[in-house]
Amino acid sequence: MICMFKIAVVGDKDSILAFKALGVDVFTVCDSEEARRTVDTIARNNYGIIFITEQIASLIPDTIERYDNEIIPAVILIPSNQGTLNIGMKRINENVEKAVGSNIL
Amino acid sequence: MKVGKIIKVSGPLVVAEGMDEANVYDVVQVSENKLIGEIIEMRGDKASIQVYEETTGIGPGDPVYTTGEPLSVELGPGLIEAMFDGIQRPLDPLRAIAGDFLSKGVEVHSLDREKKWYFTPTKKVGDRVEAGDVIGTVQETPVVLHKIMVPYGVAGEIIDIKEGEFTVVDTICTLKGGKELQMMQKWPVRKGRGYKRKLNPTVPLLTGQRVVDTFFPVSKGGTAAIPGPFGSGKTVIQHQLAKWADSEIVVYVGCGERGNEMTDVLMEFPEIIDPNTGESLMKRTVLIANTSNMPVAAREASIYTGITLAEYYRDMGYSVAIMADSTSRWAEALREMSGRLEEMPGDEGYPAYLASRAADFYERAGKVVCYGSDDREGAITIIGAVSPPGGDISEPVSQATLRIVKVFWGLDYALSYRRHFPAINWLNSYSLYQPSIDKWMDENIDPEFSANRAKAMSLLQDESELQEIVRLVGRDSLSEEDQLKLEATKSIREDFLQQNAFHDVDTFCSLAKQNLMLKLVLEFYDQGLKALKQGVYIKELEKLPVRDKIARAKYIPEENIDEIKEIQTELIEEIDKLISKGGILDA
Repeated sequence: MICMFKIAVVGDKDSILAFKALGVDVFTVCDSEEARRTVDTIARNNYGIIFITEQIASLIPDTIERYDNEIIPAVILIPSNQGTLNIGMKRINENVEKAVGSNIL
Repeated sequence: MKVGKIIKVSGPLVVAEGMDEANVYDVVQVSENKLIGEIIEMRGDKASIQVYEETTGIGPGDPVYTTGEPLSVELGPGLIEAMFDGIQRPLDPLRAIAGDFLSKGVEVHSLDREKKWYFTPTKKVGDRVEAGDVIGTVQETPVVLHKIMVPYGVAGEIIDIKEGEFTVVDTICTLKGGKELQMMQKWPVRKGRGYKRKLNPTVPLLTGQRVVDTFFPVSKGGTAAIPGPFGSGKTVIQHQLAKWADSEIVVYVGCGERGNEMTDVLMEFPEIIDPNTGESLMKRTVLIANTSNMPVAAREASIYTGITLAEYYRDMGYSVAIMADSTSRWAEALREMSGRLEEMPGDEGYPAYLASRAADFYERAGKVVCYGSDDREGAITIIGAVSPPGGDISEPVSQATLRIVKVFWGLDYALSYRRHFPAINWLNSYSLYQPSIDKWMDENIDPEFSANRAKAMSLLQDESELQEIVRLVGRDSLSEEDQLKLEATKSIREDFLQQNAFHDVDTFCSLAKQNLMLKLVLEFYDQGLKALKQGVYIKELEKLPVRDKIARAKYIPEENIDEIKEIQTELIEEIDKLISKGGILDA
């Protein structure tokens, strides 16, 4: 049987509502506690990719770090409607550096 | 008797001819100084004698007088609190006569002939007594009631028995046929004192040391060995066991180790109060000292002297613990004598009979039914330190010892280097008394005790595997459950197994406290596992404020051990709080 993973988006309502149009599951959160519970819960519920807005991610660094070493789910930081904090890009740069040895981006 | 003549002197070994009337193991007096020696080999009329004193100044031609008796010790009131050398010469009177160091040919009785003891008879005229029967008692110290027994091979009807103050050589009792009994009896040290039958040892010797009592218990009547390299704490453990073991009598044999270790005993023991009796520890202790600068031949005899005294108290129905520190020095003494006798050497120069001698010694331990019509039970527990050179226990003395003893407390240099004391390695130590003692613990302490112990042990074993992974790829690559396991075992190691011998409270830990502490550290693991499942992060568990309290639980005095239960409740509450704060949704 092919294992099907789902995709989730976590963030404030204004930023992520449009993802619904793509058929992605949308979870709106307001504060850090709610965000943490949501991410931990969906991580256990067969989601392969979790997009999370940088604003929310900056509130829950411990939770994000927790999934760094796990293959599934991939937690990916995205900018929100208020613009970017650059932490998402920074993480990608770090990962690239780890993978190839130098920053090629 | 015929007087022999010395033909050869080689250190403590003297060879004399003209000794055809003597027998092997007879005690002889060498030269006009009357040095005490023992015949250990006979060839024709030539006797090889090991001399228990310094032999400088002796030469061929000097006389040797045979006593016709084997090397014996004097048994009677006055042993407790005394300090003897390897052939039971009392060191205090010797010092009064000869000064700080032993000098040659000084003769002192082992037991004080002047001191009077109050003898209370327990039998009366007309009673029939057999060997081993108690005819009366003497209060030797406030703790020890010395029972005067009928010597072996003697039986009959009492026709006279007196009460009152007597010296050890006064006649206190007369049997029909004229046999007179004194408080003192003699016994040859190389022969084990008899008993009716041996029993299976099932009751643990409680030592107040957590790693010993919980993980590697020794039973009353059992044998244990403590091998360990230099500086790993053999002597401290021996001292701790001598201090806190719940046996009624302790015989401490300082065999070839440093003199100041015996000084420590002499300075510390009188000041420490025994929790079982409320009296000073010295009131139940006999010391035998043959420190490294004392004659080497007497070292060979010292452990036999020690065990014979122990057997004497065992025969009174007491539980006796004998500590020998260290049996390696004793084996080295055997090797030295064997070399001088020009015997064929075995492994590493030790004589071929090393294993059988070690077995002879350890086999004198045991729980037995003593002689006497009242069938009293006594026990001897032997705890021997072994000092393998370089800490490598594949050497002959360790191997010969391990073949016989049933408990092995392997000291680990790496642990002592990390300041983990007692440095008993929990992975390679073992106790073969475990099954029977588990049963005792479950019945007497807590029905879950053995299950908890097994659980803690399996966690510690898992830890050593996890540590290997951590060394390769780092701790972060472990799953959270495994990280929690590492935290829990760290807690078992640091909060439970480590014990400070020099802390007033922590030096002794009752079984009830051990049980609560073990439950507490395991509770952290159980609760942590539950919390992780509910979405709590390992970092939050690591930072729990109650963990400081768990770490300090060992310093809670015995009278307040209920505080440990309070900490446990607090732990559960704090973890519940974490779960309600960070737990995942039920969705």
